[in-house]
Amino acid sequence: MSLLFRPRHNTLAQISLFVVAAGALGGLGGLMVYARTPYARGMQDPIEQPIQFDHRHHTRDEGIDCRYCHNTVDKSPSASIPPTQLCLNCHSQIWNKSPLLDPVRRSFIDNKPIEWRRVNKVPEFVFFNHAIHVNKGVGCVSCHGRVDLMPAVEKGEPLTMGFCLDCHRHPEKNLRPVSEVVNMDWKPDGDPEETGKALAEENHVHTRTSCTTCHR
Amino acid sequence: MSCDDNKEARAKDRQKRRSLPIVTAETPRPSTATAAQAAPRQSSRVAAPRYWRSIEEREAAKAIALGAVNEFPPGADELAEGSVSRRGFMQLLGASTALATVGAACRKPNEKIVPFVRRPEELTPGNPLHFATAYALEGFASGLLATSHEGRPTKIEGNPDHPETLGGTTAIEQALILGLYDDDRAKVLRRGGESTAWRTFLEDTKARAQRLEANKGAGLRFLVEPSASPLLGDLRRRILARFPMAKFVSYSSTTSDGAAEGPRLAFGQPLVARHDLDKAKVILSLDADFLGEGPELPRATRAFAARRAPGPEMNRLYVVEPALTGTGAMADHRLRLRGTDIPSFAAALVAELATDTPALAPLAGLPKSASFDQRWIRALAHDLQRSRGSSVVIAGRRQPAAVHALAAAINAALGNVGAGSTVTYLLSPFDGSSGPKALGALVEDIAAGGVDTLVITASNPVYTAPVDFKLAQLLPRVPTTIYHGVYEDETAALCGTMIPATHPLETWGDARALDGTVSIIQPLITPLWGAFAETQVLAAFLDEGDVSAHELVRRYWFGQRPGNQAAAFDAAWEKWLADGVLPGTAAQPVTVPAVDGQALATVIGTQLAALTAKADGLELGFVNDQRLHDGRFANNAWLQELPHSITKHTWDNAVMISEATAKAQGFETGDVVALQYRDRSVEGPILIVPGHADDAVTVALGHGREGTGESIAKGVGFNAGAIRTSDAPWYDRGLKLARTGDEHKFAITQTQWTMSPDGRKSPPPAVDATLAEFLNDGSKFHEDLEERRGPLPTIHEPVDYSHVQYKWGMSIDLNKCTGCNACVVACQAENNIPVVGKENVRKGRHMQWIRIDRYFTGPVADPEVINQPLGCVQCETAPCEYVCPVNATVHSDEGLNEMAYNRCIGTRYCSNNCPYKVRRFNFLDYTSEYTAARMMGTNPDVTVRARGVMEKCTYCVQRIERKRIDTRIAGRDIKDGELETACQQGCPARAIEFGSLNDPNAKVTRLHADARRYDLLHEIGTRPRTAYLARVRNINPDLAKVD
Amino acid sequence: MSAAPSSANVSRDPLEPTVLIEGAQTDQSLNDSLLNHVWRGAGRGWWMLFGCALSALGLLLIGITYTLYKGIGAWGNNIPVGWAFGIINFVWWIGIGHAGTLISAILLLLQQKWRTSINRFAEAMTLFAVICALLFPLLHTGRPWFAAYWLMPYPSVQGIWPQFKSPLTWDVFAVSTYFTISLLFWYLGLVPDLASLRDSSKSRTKRIVYGIFALGWRGSGRHWSEYKWSYLLLAGLSTPLVLSVHTIVSFDFAVSVIPGWHTTIFPPYFVAGAVFSGFAMVATWMIPARQFLGLKHVVTIKHLENMCKVMLATGMMVTYGYIMEHFIAWYSGNPYEQGQFFKTRWHGPMQGIFLTMVFCNCVVPQIFWFKKARTHVGVIWFASILINVGMWCERFNIVVTSLHRDFLPSSWQNYAPTWVDISLFIGTIGLFSTLFLLFLKFVPAVAITEVKELRHEMEHEAHHASVGGGAGAHG
Repeated sequence: MSLLFRPRHNTLAQISLFVVAAGALGGLGGLMVYARTPYARGMQDPIEQPIQFDHRHHTRDEGIDCRYCHNTVDKSPSASIPPTQLCLNCHSQIWNKSPLLDPVRRSFIDNKPIEWRRVNKVPEFVFFNHAIHVNKGVGCVSCHGRVDLMPAVEKGEPLTMGFCLDCHRHPEKNLRPVSEVVNMDWKPDGDPEETGKALAEENHVHTRTSCTTCHR
Repeated sequence: MSCDDNKEARAKDRQKRRSLPIVTAETPRPSTATAAQAAPRQSSRVAAPRYWRSIEEREAAKAIALGAVNEFPPGADELAEGSVSRRGFMQLLGASTALATVGAACRKPNEKIVPFVRRPEELTPGNPLHFATAYALEGFASGLLATSHEGRPTKIEGNPDHPETLGGTTAIEQALILGLYDDDRAKVLRRGGESTAWRTFLEDTKARAQRLEANKGAGLRFLVEPSASPLLGDLRRRILARFPMAKFVSYSSTTSDGAAEGPRLAFGQPLVARHDLDKAKVILSLDADFLGEGPELPRATRAFAARRAPGPEMNRLYVVEPALTGTGAMADHRLRLRGTDIPSFAAALVAELATDTPALAPLAGLPKSASFDQRWIRALAHDLQRSRGSSVVIAGRRQPAAVHALAAAINAALGNVGAGSTVTYLLSPFDGSSGPKALGALVEDIAAGGVDTLVITASNPVYTAPVDFKLAQLLPRVPTTIYHGVYEDETAALCGTMIPATHPLETWGDARALDGTVSIIQPLITPLWGAFAETQVLAAFLDEGDVSAHELVRRYWFGQRPGNQAAAFDAAWEKWLADGVLPGTAAQPVTVPAVDGQALATVIGTQLAALTAKADGLELGFVNDQRLHDGRFANNAWLQELPHSITKHTWDNAVMISEATAKAQGFETGDVVALQYRDRSVEGPILIVPGHADDAVTVALGHGREGTGESIAKGVGFNAGAIRTSDAPWYDRGLKLARTGDEHKFAITQTQWTMSPDGRKSPPPAVDATLAEFLNDGSKFHEDLEERRGPLPTIHEPVDYSHVQYKWGMSIDLNKCTGCNACVVACQAENNIPVVGKENVRKGRHMQWIRIDRYFTGPVADPEVINQPLGCVQCETAPCEYVCPVNATVHSDEGLNEMAYNRCIGTRYCSNNCPYKVRRFNFLDYTSEYTAARMMGTNPDVTVRARGVMEKCTYCVQRIERKRIDTRIAGRDIKDGELETACQQGCPARAIEFGSLNDPNAKVTRLHADARRYDLLHEIGTRPRTAYLARVRNINPDLAKVD
Repeated sequence: MSAAPSSANVSRDPLEPTVLIEGAQTDQSLNDSLLNHVWRGAGRGWWMLFGCALSALGLLLIGITYTLYKGIGAWGNNIPVGWAFGIINFVWWIGIGHAGTLISAILLLLQQKWRTSINRFAEAMTLFAVICALLFPLLHTGRPWFAAYWLMPYPSVQGIWPQFKSPLTWDVFAVSTYFTISLLFWYLGLVPDLASLRDSSKSRTKRIVYGIFALGWRGSGRHWSEYKWSYLLLAGLSTPLVLSVHTIVSFDFAVSVIPGWHTTIFPPYFVAGAVFSGFAMVATWMIPARQFLGLKHVVTIKHLENMCKVMLATGMMVTYGYIMEHFIAWYSGNPYEQGQFFKTRWHGPMQGIFLTMVFCNCVVPQIFWFKKARTHVGVIWFASILINVGMWCERFNIVVTSLHRDFLPSSWQNYAPTWVDISLFIGTIGLFSTLFLLFLKFVPAVAITEVKELRHEMEHEAHHASVGGGAGAHG
């Protein structure tokens, strides 16, 4: 009978076997790599807001403290987005004619909240508490990135469980004097490692990694 | 906050509470700030006229369920937003969630954050606030503390500063939260089938009032709940002043005329008896379930439990009752007796007492229908007399006036009456009867066509009224009927005008506690679906309907302080609201005259003769369902699914009967029988109950509801009221049971009665002993307990927790637990525990994290009962942990047994390997169907669990972590008592203590060292953190079992 | 080639009193007879069976879909009975899988000649049984979509790993290994036969398809030596698996604290039970198969008899296991275990299932003491079915009966399966049958090469007997 298979078919078979195996492994590996890309984590993706609010201008130019607007950050789990009223504390005086601020004024007059779009989000089963972090000297920048350099705010850090655990296991590198929490440019003078350890002492930082620290 | 040894914290709490009323006055719903809220605070003190808003709301409330959504959660704050999107999350089963969790593919959804427009200054988003308010059931108030997250009430506690509540709660009060967010609530003010505006209603009422005024209001009738509210009383007086011929009829199927009539017979005026059980050494309950129901429950339970500490001062409880109740379960000696025999028993007891107590001599010869165990009565009588002045006889509401009179006479004769003693009498705040008698008069008026306008604010009288009144048939004859109710229930269906009633947490008002103390009822939230307060409805007849409930109550109390300056009043007002009580409003005890035995004997004699000449046949006994009350809570799924404290059946009522009688009649549990009483009949399933009196049947009211608007209540159980007549509201004989051939399958959470149903030789889970055994150090009891605590030999080096900051532990005192179920519901509310429904309870899938195991010991006919609350005991060497393949349940550094829901894949291996079977599994999707309104009631500090996830008690870890963070920020340690678990806080008996076992002075540490302490299943070496304190029964030596 | 003299079949090995190949066979005749059922078109019988199998398979699909849609609540499980049909079926199927490996590997190493004509058969069963079993571990979880990969140890962005202390994690490795090895083993043995299928098939497409799976087998000496070598290697590899897999499955129960689970005897008695049920299942299928596929001449009564002996032996081991459970319960003085074994099992609500188990697993095998029973096809077939039933009941007793009454009487609950449970169970049987019927249709049910080999060996011996010396012809 006619020859169905020739020697090259053996090579072909071997190659195809290899390809299948490689493909399977590569696919899995690829997924794991992808999960670690900024894209998959929604980072580096400035988010359009209903109002063109520029953190650069307010913090750098005007030097407004983060806590002026996010004023429950040190006493509540939530840092809280400021009420319209608070915007108008200033903007009833300055730029009170600016068309850019129309939505704000309308919100106040119609008593309709401004609907901001969420940028930094942890899943609902994660109970993050701003107050304790801020009071123990974890700077805003540690989790939110250089918001003071963001024209439109974007997610600055992955905020994955691994990211949280990393700091909760070795908090030193993210600690600073409580007075400096909002300072975006703060750098430890001297050896960061040592400073961190000293601060951990000073602020009685006892990070916990029990499940219920974040999941309840 | 509840611990009395914690003044500072409580003061702080008040501080917090003090500033709040303003919030509720104007901005309970920040996002839906009204014109009133927009205006500057001073002017907005006067809340905006309601009806403007009502019209808007009516227009808006086309899609009512949605109303809740648009109306709040997004606005409340980002957390509120979270709680809603959490629901979305829970629905995201499947790959997307999966990937999101690994941090892969699923891109962040475009989610909104909706901040306040104007944030109330005292509100910090993310931190809960506490409001003092009150809730009146059966006319008497109990003081509550409500927790609110961004304007959404989520939890109810007892107000520790309230004299009648003392920080305790009842299961029903705990469940109020669910009722508030019930989507079945009536939402539309309607006349006939047409929805109408509040203002239109007011105009109509104004016109009608003028017409009625012409003939002095003849034909105007008000059918109301009995209430001690000063404001309502005032409105009532003013209405009667305007319409002298009008009548107020207060009716509740619960209250009995006997309770007020008895003291009148004894002392010449209607009085309310108030019992101080902390002064009582010997207590006799004549069919009184004071630990299971009624306005005295929280205080009585606390006081009773306080004197259960084994020792010379330990109290002794005798109970005489037909069906086992919570009180009967706590009895040291219980005599099961048909309800109709109890009057005779009282007479027999008096006769026995008379021998040594001359004051009772004239009453010695009262007629009796039955003869009783003389040994029992003699022992009881001696015991009562031995402790004159510190004994007490309590007559149950279901007993006729004669029994109450005899109880009064005995108490008086034994010197138990008067300030500083066990019984004090207060003037009854109710004018006249609130039982069938009163309603009867009204019914006659209606039948005679004498009623032209009937305003009903009483809860669903058509359902609760005695069947022989035929209210359902008569009501349509009344030209104008106005019903003010929470649901579109049986009564609403027959009334021309239906006004949605506010939930207790939505309304302003005031209420009086049993001891007379007044509390202001303040809302935590403006009505979800535009409802109206009872006060507003009454005020409408004074042409003041446009005045807000807030203004009504303020005006009244301002008027109560003549010559008061507004400013001073405001200060006082705010303090009242913050404290939850008005100081110095407690009523003065009445000094009662000596009982005229002779006169009393003649009066009671005839009554007893009538009572004891009852027909033969089975006794039919009615009782309020301990969960649904008179049926007004039938649409509350938490209460429907709450296991009955004795039978552990849920989602049902039953024909409760003793084993002997059932056998004699040839019935078994589950047989559906027809109860034939007089010319009426109703069908219900038999449920054999240990310790039930023979030849008697007990059926619970409140079931078999047919309200069109109540989807949950509809068709659950059977309506025992269908054979309840006005002349025999509680007991009568002459019942016949007929087999129907149908079978009924109960949904029972605990199928076994005893501690070793198969006769195995395992140590009893719930230990009890007699006081004698306890006091004898060498007794077997102490030997056994010694074996059941302390470390076991093990090859593993146990983890040493002595160096961690907090070593959380719990202790549960079986001597104090009355099985009242408050802890179960408190836990359900605190931890967002879903209900699973009747069918799933039948299958054994109920979800309550803490359950109360009830064991019977001794003969089925006459058993002793022991309750054992059981949640996760937080084993130090937990069997559940090492079997979980994904590390979803592990140990915390402090030894807590943690459960990470989001990591759980639901193998159920942990539950299989849990010796206590305290883990609960989401077999089906119980939560994603939650309405937006229901979602608002969930505790934002606790995840709402998805389908296929295991869950269990965590010692309220969310409370621990909150308190930990607060104290760490403040730079101090958590003090003993300032952190309480939900079950502990809710428990009226304070049977549960919680704290750090590393704190040598903590209550819980002391209790862990108690002589009665033992560990459940200690022998398998799980090293539980929850310890139990054995129960001790204070047996009367004269009645000690001869064996 | 001349037919072997009948004396050739008179073996001098006392362990082999009867013939393993009946009648005068040549390589060609064997080839034809053993490939015959593959080549001849599917008969009505086959189609009918296949139809039934498919409809049962349909049930499985319905059951799975509904379970995924509703959740575990669609099953009868509750608290305390967290595991029921799902785990029972899992253990039952895994157990059935054991016969294959045992026959292929251990009997091979022990050079039991009679294995040759049934090993292919048994290996296939192993494979299909394990496939059925594999459905459940995933399906019985509340959230399979997570279970699918959280059970795997890999560096995740969450920074946590599976719990290596949990027997369920061990299961993942044990069962997947077992599956892989069994697959390789079965396939490797198949290669030469696929080649002969390729060569003897008429149509070009079939030739190509079989050709691809035959991996270019040419039957050269090098092929044969490597084939033999790797086959032996795999046999060596899978031998420990026969013991390990069910040992580890038994740990799911043995490491827990539940009375009735917490038992040290579980590993050996699970393995014995596995082989027991495995052989029963092989017998159940082999008997009709040899009938209808005309394999009587290679699957002789002798084979069946040997299988009966194995069942008898393992049946006794299982019985011993039951007795030990009770003895230890009594001897330990542990009241909970005593309650479980002496009260619940014998007198509890699930008493019926327990007694069925005792009858099927302890009493029924005893008939195999009698040669009449061992050699009567009907009896064997009926007994083997009873044994399958008995072994399922055993798992029910272990899983459900133990759980439904454990330590605290307050949480005792009864258990009742739902239609989903039952359709899943029937469904897996359908899946098994479907795969099996396909297997019978497309590959030789008997390892032709090995049978031929066997024939040659025997002929060889015969030759020695008669002529003395001189090599037998090799094909």
